[in-house]
Amino acid sequence: MDIILNLLPHLVNGLALGLLFALIALGFMLIVGVMELINLAHGSLFALGAYFAMSIIDPNLTYFGTFGEWYSGLSLTLRYVVALALAPALVAVVGMGLEICMRRTYGKKAEYGLLLTYGAALVIEETIRIVWGSAEQVMPIPDAVSGAFMAGGMIYSNYRFFAAGFGLLMIFVVWLFLEKTPYGATIKAGAHDSEMVRALGVNLTRLRLLVFGLGASLSAVAGIILTPIWGLRPHVGVDVVIPAFLIIVVGGIGSFWGAVIAGVMVGLVVAFSGAYVSEWSMMSMYLLLIAVITFRTRGLFGKKSSLEL
Amino acid sequence: MKMRNTTTRLMTGAAACAVASVIAASGAVAAGNPLLIGLTSDASGQYANSGASDRRGMMMAIEEFNSKGGVLGRQIKTIHIDTETTPATGSRVAERMITRDKVGFMIGAVSSGVANAISQVAQKYGVVYLNTNSSSPTESGKNCHRVKFVWDGNGKNFAQAAVKNAVSKYGKKWVLMTNDYVWGHNTSKATRSLAEGAGAKIAEEIMIPQGTRDFSSSLLKIQQLNPKVVAAAVGGDDQKAMRTQISQLDMGTKYAWINNQQDWPDVYGLPTKNLFGVFGTTWYYKFDLPGVKEFNAKYQKMYPHTKMKVPGNVFYNGYWATRSLMEAIEKAGTTENHAVIKQLEQLRIPAAVRMQHDDAFMNPKTHQMQQTVYLARANLSSKDKNDMFEIVAHASPATVKDGSADTTCKLESFADTPKYTP
Repeated sequence: MDIILNLLPHLVNGLALGLLFALIALGFMLIVGVMELINLAHGSLFALGAYFAMSIIDPNLTYFGTFGEWYSGLSLTLRYVVALALAPALVAVVGMGLEICMRRTYGKKAEYGLLLTYGAALVIEETIRIVWGSAEQVMPIPDAVSGAFMAGGMIYSNYRFFAAGFGLLMIFVVWLFLEKTPYGATIKAGAHDSEMVRALGVNLTRLRLLVFGLGASLSAVAGIILTPIWGLRPHVGVDVVIPAFLIIVVGGIGSFWGAVIAGVMVGLVVAFSGAYVSEWSMMSMYLLLIAVITFRTRGLFGKKSSLEL
Repeated sequence: MKMRNTTTRLMTGAAACAVASVIAASGAVAAGNPLLIGLTSDASGQYANSGASDRRGMMMAIEEFNSKGGVLGRQIKTIHIDTETTPATGSRVAERMITRDKVGFMIGAVSSGVANAISQVAQKYGVVYLNTNSSSPTESGKNCHRVKFVWDGNGKNFAQAAVKNAVSKYGKKWVLMTNDYVWGHNTSKATRSLAEGAGAKIAEEIMIPQGTRDFSSSLLKIQQLNPKVVAAAVGGDDQKAMRTQISQLDMGTKYAWINNQQDWPDVYGLPTKNLFGVFGTTWYYKFDLPGVKEFNAKYQKMYPHTKMKVPGNVFYNGYWATRSLMEAIEKAGTTENHAVIKQLEQLRIPAAVRMQHDDAFMNPKTHQMQQTVYLARANLSSKDKNDMFEIVAHASPATVKDGSADTTCKLESFADTPKYTP
């Protein structure tokens, strides 16, 4: 019984952490699945979303007169909600700009796309440094989700559970979009056979633009949700790309539920290793990757993906 | 991790080439024979922010000397290459600076792993190297070198100042949180030794791999262990994330937190509620001591646009290391390394000049600056967002001396240190 009581907090923590990892991987999964492109700028878009949100939540409106006063008077919760809606939209625009730059690389070797998104990642990170500075910043969060609560004699962070709940909501929304709307059906069809989709009269150029924008905005959402936990600095995105990539490989490239389940698995592995063999906690996700790939090269739920065609 | 390293290497490599070529070009047209100093501070990775602050301190000292004609009549030029908070890069940068750029001296470090790597190369060529801000006890212990001088207080100095008092005041059940690299290991080792010596029991040592962003598992584990004191040797970005998460859990007041040294760039701008516990430092901009106001004013004049509006301990160490080197060269009357080393070994700085409470001096056996160590906590009553610390005590260099360093440090002889005259 004692063992169960000792393990339970880490299980709960691992599940919460797993949902956050899944959230990180969503945008990455969408772009890889549909466009067969590994977006190395994913982490920088994550950071950019957080910085945009920071500027929306706590802006410097000295020169904006009465509008500035009015906006500053709004509650933190309202400004946070505005940031959650507006910052991903702004990052979506940046993502779409990046997709336009990508077009000349389509049909060429994968290295072209990798190099271009890698270059974009560097440019975005340095732009952040120039605009917002390199010092650590703290994103304010509404009182309603700050603080902590007690359960079973342990203290848990309210925000972490809000973030995990939000991650779950985003997973559901993206699933709903992909599975229950005609746009989602087109995107999925594009992932399986883009030429056939084009032959059916779908504007593939526009589809790719929208998918990249959507993927970028999901990166931004993850950035806004995660940075109050991880902290906000220009290179925060570097910590995101590798776990995101790892999760979609473990889950199976192109598989929505694969990414979600792999995210949860990574969360559990990191949580338990952090508690019991802490020096292995960073490495544990890579060991999971090796274990999965050794026995199932396509990842847990990887079907014959478009990448293998 | 591999991808991260590759990313930073490529980025900083490009930046370094650009910086190097600009500086080389400017050096070519300068009159006379300028003295080239290699700045080996991190511009990326875990200590990028501290590295920038370190560099500002060095540049202010250099600016002071250049404005009065340089050193020994030679203008001081600088070259900076990012050491990426990575020891392997530190070695490469040092090798390149010495063999290709022909630097006269090298200054800068925040990561102890990087400082150790640089100093091995510096010793090979006999180039004097100033470790400005890395604070592993090994830097002036088993990894000491004749050419290397360490300017910061080390983990053991800070532990001496805080640990014994904490055992009697807060209790005997302790947990250690240790950043899994050289500074963390050695700082926790010193803390363990002092705490156990004072009667404490270490319930567990939790290793924190570098680059950890999620501390929830460790923090749950601490709750399960329910110690009286948590001594954390976690630095840089890891520490920032850790502080934020501890604060979110309201754990800052539940246990007595002993945080070794708290570098100013790591906390500047954070809410004071994230600054829980007691921590060490070597300097604070609010000291009511001679010269502090002028020093702050000079910083603000030279760096009007930096977000860090007041100087901190990292800047202070960068400044003092550089200034002391220049003064040592002037006293020696030459840039020849052996003569400069001998001057630095005899270095004594009165408290009034150094803006600390006690006279500081270089330990000739370990090459570590012996100085006042301060214990601080968050200044919760402050209305000034810059005034984040409340200094609660200070300890003289003799009180906090790292006694073991005198025996573990084996400096190379002068005969074994190649002569080098830039």
